[in-house]
Amino acid sequence: MKQVGLREDELERIAEGLGRRPSPVELYAFDAQWSEHCSYKSSRRHLRRLPSAGARVVLGPGEDAGIVHLGTHAGERYGIVVAHESHNHPSQVVPFEGAATGVGGVVRDVLCMGAEVVGLADPLRFGLTDDVRGHQAYVARSAVDGIGAYGNAIGVPNVAGDVYFERGFNDNCLVNVIALGIVKEDEVVRSYVPKEADGWDLVLVGKATDPSGFGGASFSSLTLDARDAQLNKSAVQVPDPFLENVLMRATYRVFALLRGLKIAAAFKDLGAGGIMGCSAEITGQGGCGADIDLDCVNVALPAMAPEVIAVGETQERLLWAVPPEISPELLRIYNEVFTLPEIACNARATVIGRVTSSERYILRHRGEVVMDVPSLLLTAHIDDELPYTEVIYHGGTTDELPAVDVESIFPKVLAHRDVCSREPLYRRYDSVVRGSTVLPRGSGDAGVLAPVTGSRLGVALAVAGNPRYGRLDPKYAAQHAVLEAMRRVVAVGAVPIGLTDCLNFGNPRKPEQYGAFIAAVDGLAHAATELDLPFVSGNVSFYNEGPDGAPIPASAIVACVGALDDVAAVVTPGLKGAGSSLLWVGSRELVVGGSVLADVLGIEGQLPALSMSAERAAVAIVHDAVTRGVLRACRAVADGGMLTALARLAFDAMLAGRSIGAEIDFGNPLCEAGGFLCEVSDDSEIDVTGVLRVGQTIDEPQLIVNGVRFDVARLYEIWSRPLAELYP
Amino acid sequence: MSRRIAVLAFPGTNSEDETVRILRDCGGDAELVWWSQAEQLAQYDAYVLSGGFAHEDRVRAGAIAALDPMMDAVIDGACAGKLVLGICNGAQILLEAGLVPGTGAVRQPTAAFTKNLPAPHFVCRHVRMRLAIDPARCVITAGLEPGALIPAWAAHTEGRLAAPREHLDEIVAGGHVAFVYAHPDGRVDDGAVPNGSALGCAGLVNRAGNVLAIMPHPERDAWNFNHLARSEGDDVLAPSGGALLFRSFVDAVNV
Repeated sequence: MKQVGLREDELERIAEGLGRRPSPVELYAFDAQWSEHCSYKSSRRHLRRLPSAGARVVLGPGEDAGIVHLGTHAGERYGIVVAHESHNHPSQVVPFEGAATGVGGVVRDVLCMGAEVVGLADPLRFGLTDDVRGHQAYVARSAVDGIGAYGNAIGVPNVAGDVYFERGFNDNCLVNVIALGIVKEDEVVRSYVPKEADGWDLVLVGKATDPSGFGGASFSSLTLDARDAQLNKSAVQVPDPFLENVLMRATYRVFALLRGLKIAAAFKDLGAGGIMGCSAEITGQGGCGADIDLDCVNVALPAMAPEVIAVGETQERLLWAVPPEISPELLRIYNEVFTLPEIACNARATVIGRVTSSERYILRHRGEVVMDVPSLLLTAHIDDELPYTEVIYHGGTTDELPAVDVESIFPKVLAHRDVCSREPLYRRYDSVVRGSTVLPRGSGDAGVLAPVTGSRLGVALAVAGNPRYGRLDPKYAAQHAVLEAMRRVVAVGAVPIGLTDCLNFGNPRKPEQYGAFIAAVDGLAHAATELDLPFVSGNVSFYNEGPDGAPIPASAIVACVGALDDVAAVVTPGLKGAGSSLLWVGSRELVVGGSVLADVLGIEGQLPALSMSAERAAVAIVHDAVTRGVLRACRAVADGGMLTALARLAFDAMLAGRSIGAEIDFGNPLCEAGGFLCEVSDDSEIDVTGVLRVGQTIDEPQLIVNGVRFDVARLYEIWSRPLAELYP
Repeated sequence: MSRRIAVLAFPGTNSEDETVRILRDCGGDAELVWWSQAEQLAQYDAYVLSGGFAHEDRVRAGAIAALDPMMDAVIDGACAGKLVLGICNGAQILLEAGLVPGTGAVRQPTAAFTKNLPAPHFVCRHVRMRLAIDPARCVITAGLEPGALIPAWAAHTEGRLAAPREHLDEIVAGGHVAFVYAHPDGRVDDGAVPNGSALGCAGLVNRAGNVLAIMPHPERDAWNFNHLARSEGDDVLAPSGGALLFRSFVDAVNV
């Protein structure tokens, strides 16, 4: 019998709730539903501290995805649907499949809110890949290929993302994925049924249920050693982007049908816990019960055990709850117009049961009741109060900064694995399918899309989460992730409107690792509250540690969504002309803790202070310059410091055929304190409070830094090459 | 006179919406036709095969789709002189169906768009397609200037033209290379080719000039908002750039 992850006290609680010992199917159901993965039992009480309300919030955390108001077009209000998922553990074991199924899952999370899926982002953290034939390199390549294979095939552009290569991820990579959707706010489809849904049909749609992914939810809640033992037990799921492509298009047709008939329905992705988890939540959260016949489920193999059908995590499946009168048309769309049974073996839409008013969750198999439990017990919010050690950052060393020889150091910074061009990687992603891309991967700090056909509305998306900071101070790193993601969105001319996060941490049952998680939540909550930005969705991934029990660097990864009333206001790539001023807007503290420079020099140093009031002021200055049309180019100052931001503005100018460089004079231009580097026309009348003029643009492709001269084309060579061997 | 254009969606197609949109924005009467409605295709006056991974690109990109019943109508139409445009996966399907370059029999391909070189990976890269034939050689390009440069995105794993030597010679001799990859200034060299394509080929036309197969996607760089840095005019929603080719196609359809 397959191992279950339930603890002794949890088993007792189940027996008490049922008044008897659970049946085998019930045992597996509770194992999945009460796993960390499904129940957020160690994180929920802390996640409550994240701000999630605001004037623009259409739907906060709690359903498959959150929704934030984008803008109005032709009298209709449009919302951006956003979901953030991790597929870290599967990606470490089978990177191609693990990463691909991560994309598929997050896309369905957005789809099932009634949205059209319009964009993807992929924050990635891999181990050191110095040996391009080694295992870390294999993981780094295969995960990227998996993301590309899935996103490219379903036709959703990948417009944002980042990647870090760090020793701390050698045994446990991170594959996070974010999906964006667009929906009219009065056409949102909810993830649970209304109270009056008694008698509605439950319609399972998609791939035939197979034994793949059986035990997936508890798999994610195990540490690496235990996962190895599960490997031969098919806990890893198998991706079929071809089927998902067709499912998405068929589902868009069903949305149109429901809109036309003005019929309410509920719709949900099958994730952790499979048919059982999804049907329990879609009915239970609406205060209803369910009565499901597992014999009605389209299966891939004969004689599958009921618990495998019930909780297996076969991919590419969704569940509708609909009034029975529309089921025939729904089945016709999926099975006949979009021919699901011909797309994949025994794929289809099929009625598997109905919603009841009984508040019991019932599964039948071969004429027997194999599960009959109170819905509320199954979907109960488990809350584990765990001990933790408070994490305190001790401030780093205060050594005086050594004199930096820009001439020899800057090329090393540009070629550093955290700074060099990501193009060899993201070139494998389709960034322009759908024809709505305004800024594709690599052309700015954020990707920008025009998601509403015929409208000038734009949406920007960027991610952040620097593991060099995470290693030093989880709370600081989390705050910084909020700031950096927001800055990136601001740098392309958008107004930040919402956040989503994935908290990737170690084992919550180890007090110091749980303490790091709690500190990170503190950091996210503080920064988001100060900047008045809501978290509308999010995800937690625990048990990210190597076989030696060492956790990964604290990794609170944040994505920020920005709005543009008119995409014409987007700040386009690259320096625009000679004779403009270069301004550094925002904090400029001259310390190097956590920077690429510190890594190159092999020193520690102090973390730069974060000032939320200075941040708000800097954002206001950039917005003002955008609104008045005087911001010619802009980059957020991040990895590699202000000089790297400047170099990238010069590279983009060169690639666009403009022969422009810059001359700057600034003490240590490789510090990473933050803020924005802006090119503005000289008569821009910028409010200079909090702004430093660091230099000006010149009409030759050179960067002259404190008197040292660099050729832009030569720097571009250095910057663009390093990842080409890993991603040929 | 406005004639009807069918945009075909095979299982796995992924660029159908933007293709319909740009055709309409260029004045075309375009509609999407799903694979389960193949019997409707005969009534349309022109066909556009859009991008994606039809039938999962099993065997070879386009190989299975070329056998799809939808292609019966396209092959009949092409032979009867209807205009057919294939983009990316659509181009691969036209080659597998033997319609382009059309130097062999139907469904007996003489050339293929196959695995990129030097690295056999998906590549997403902005390119320019330069018209390499007399515009009038192909009805679809008749509205373009000689040597026209069309901005587009290469986004494919199998985009390299490959054929046995004798077929390549025939392709050159018959003037089938309609487009070659070029730099933004119009220069043509290996550096402009994203996939190692033979002859630097980005697009092929059939003998009669009514069927055109192009690998890059002009419909993804077809409105001002797709290329703000080189917008034409103030309206970010106006078609421009890659729209040139669709305007020429629609004008040819509507003659």
